[in-house]
Amino acid sequence: MTSPLKTEGGGASVVVDGDKESAKESQTAQVEGRSPGRLMWIRFKRDRTGVISAYVVGFFFLIGLLAPLISKLYGKDPYTVYADERPELFDSAGVPVQPNGGISGDFWFGLEPGNGYDVFTKLIYGIRTSLMISLAVTVAVVLTGILLGVTAGYLGGKADFFIGRVIDFLLAIPAQLFFIASMPVVVSLFVSPRDETPTYVRVVALIAVQWALGWMSLGRILRGTTLSLREREFIEAAKVSGASSRRIIGKEILPNVVTPLLVQSTYLLPNFVTAEAGLSFLGVGIVEPTPDWGQMFSKASTELVLQNDLTYMFFPGVSMIIFVVAFNLLGDSVRDAFDPKSAR
Amino acid sequence: MKEEVVTKDEATVPAARGAAAEASGEPLLVVDKLVKHFPVKGGFPIRRTVGAVQAVDGIDLTVHVGESFGLVGESGCGKSTTGRLITRLLEPTSGKISYRGQDISHASRKQLAPIRSEIQMIFQDPYSSLNPRQTVGKIISGPMEINDINPAGGREKRVRELLEIVGLNPEHFNRFPHEFSGGQRQRIGVARALALEPKLIVADEPVSALDVSIQAQVVNLLQQVQKDLGIAFLFIAHDLAVVRHFSQRVAVMYLGKIIEVGDRDSIYARPRHPYTHALLSAVPEVNLDGDEEAQRERIRLAGDVPSPISPPSGCRFRTRCWKATEKCATEEPPLVRISGNGPGHLTACHFPEEPTTGARDEDIVLDPALAALEETEG
Ligand SMILES: Nc1ncnc2c1ncn2[C@@H]1O[C@H](COP(=O)(O)OP(=O)(O)OP(=O)(O)O)[C@@H](O)[C@H]1O
Ligand code: SF4
Ligand SMILES: [Mg+2]
Repeated sequence: MTSPLKTEGGGASVVVDGDKESAKESQTAQVEGRSPGRLMWIRFKRDRTGVISAYVVGFFFLIGLLAPLISKLYGKDPYTVYADERPELFDSAGVPVQPNGGISGDFWFGLEPGNGYDVFTKLIYGIRTSLMISLAVTVAVVLTGILLGVTAGYLGGKADFFIGRVIDFLLAIPAQLFFIASMPVVVSLFVSPRDETPTYVRVVALIAVQWALGWMSLGRILRGTTLSLREREFIEAAKVSGASSRRIIGKEILPNVVTPLLVQSTYLLPNFVTAEAGLSFLGVGIVEPTPDWGQMFSKASTELVLQNDLTYMFFPGVSMIIFVVAFNLLGDSVRDAFDPKSAR
Repeated sequence: MKEEVVTKDEATVPAARGAAAEASGEPLLVVDKLVKHFPVKGGFPIRRTVGAVQAVDGIDLTVHVGESFGLVGESGCGKSTTGRLITRLLEPTSGKISYRGQDISHASRKQLAPIRSEIQMIFQDPYSSLNPRQTVGKIISGPMEINDINPAGGREKRVRELLEIVGLNPEHFNRFPHEFSGGQRQRIGVARALALEPKLIVADEPVSALDVSIQAQVVNLLQQVQKDLGIAFLFIAHDLAVVRHFSQRVAVMYLGKIIEVGDRDSIYARPRHPYTHALLSAVPEVNLDGDEEAQRERIRLAGDVPSPISPPSGCRFRTRCWKATEKCATEEPPLVRISGNGPGHLTACHFPEEPTTGARDEDIVLDPALAALEETEG
């Protein structure tokens, strides 16, 4: 998908960059070597698709991070019920009077039918919630994947067999069904069904459930990488020098699994974002009034909104598509930059 | 049958070893009846051990202080396994490895710590023996870090020194392995092995992955290092040509056993074992006086090395030996100094060859296909 851009647009610049690089290198040649990481960075910078995607993805994270600041400058928050505050903007059914869902200079992305929340702040706060949850899941999954995958690969034998069977078992569980079925169960572990469920409990439950079924693919890849690394002679060289297992894992193996780790993480995170959105859409994730990206879709598909205000779907929908596509393109570029052979 | 073998070994080997020790000083490494069997798992549904790869099956060898010892044999005969047992990357199934009189056959990592720095290894594959994520400086100073060695002037100075010793630009310590050629990488591997000032280096086919033109350079480097620093070498190779100018003593291995061992002259000029003869005839001779070339014997061996899972009974070479008889199938020949051998020259064969490498009346060609080829050619 990315190749046409690369071969047409990138072709000329590659040569120029290469010349510059080599000229630069001959000056500093004596002192610094170029690490595999720097080579990857140089290759990545030449990939226009990757760089643009990285900016787009970065932009989303920036929005999420700065949501409170943005909404302060903008002067609104996602919790104000404008149906009560500014009733003149809504008709008797609660639908914004103005066309396109009430888009105006005051409400850039319009107003939500029903409660009349401001869509713009709701969206940026929703992005914030979704990205925070997905990031937390990714971090948990990466840590688990490293721990179990590297352990299985390095120790081999019984540990490997046991971890391998656990992975097989978890992979056999249909993930979506498991999420839907287990969310209420996990939530009820923390609060009794009769009480109001605090938001943080839902967040923790969402993270836990996705983490439980999310780490296996990464764990497997890291196991395979470690297994092949373990046979490499530089590990034996370290052993001959008397290195401890801790040193071998920390200094010899981990730096070499960074590549698959990064590539996999860039594929995993957008998956978690869509999965989280899916759960909120189905009503087992984040619920009103906490703003959430996925939950906005579920709002958009309620009868009231669907029939009166199609514009409402537009902003969360388009932003999520852009986000997921950009992130996946970024993942491709990261992979190509790390492993130039697979791309050409 | 096994018992018989053992008693024979006991009777003959110590005497022979004594002779060898006399010849060249104090023993540094003594390997005694070393055995390594890799279990073969199989069966369904329950996997169990159904056999064993007899990679190393009772070998004895001694490397003396400052000596260069060559270990030669075809692919798969257990050379690397021997090297890995000696550097204790593998746990021996049985037998004994002693280093300076200390039994290290089953020593743990902690127990090995004091002698770790004295036994180092150089690996075969220069592309997998260096961590791609570390600079050359880190790779070479790693062993010093692990063993907490702080040379005068700092580790970086020592790294520069080592790079200089192995013939690399000392300014390159900040570079990464991918920026070097195969030969240069192998030099980095040598520098790493030298970092701890070892007494013994196990070099497992250090040049066989390199271009022929570069092989000689690296062998010369190793030879120089060996002479200058007085390091003992166990030099593993798969043909006799590479070790010829390097090793004072040579052992020939076949299917997990040493079948002939002796000083360089004995092995190259007066070999007794048919297999050694065969290996020698395969060495491309670089002889200055060309007429001797014509007189060398020609031996072509048939077939492959048998599987080490079920090696032949008796003499393991009998399936490819042109002198094999009934006795060879039933009785394992002991590794002894047979009559006509010089001191320290041991051969495991019931019907040894004449101690000469001169041409035979008739070439030995055991492979029918090869024979046909040679006929049409000649
Ligand atoms: N870890 C292992 N598990 C099972 N079998 C092994 C293992 N390592 C080696 N072997 C077997 O032991 C035998 C001897 O192997 P080894 O690597 O010592 O041979 P080699 O003489 O070094 O050969 P080469 O010249 O190809 O390096 C081979 O048949 C090999 O398949
Ligand atoms: S013992 Fe027999 S089979 Fe073995 S090498 Fe000697 S003659 Fe050949
Ligand atoms: Mg080998």
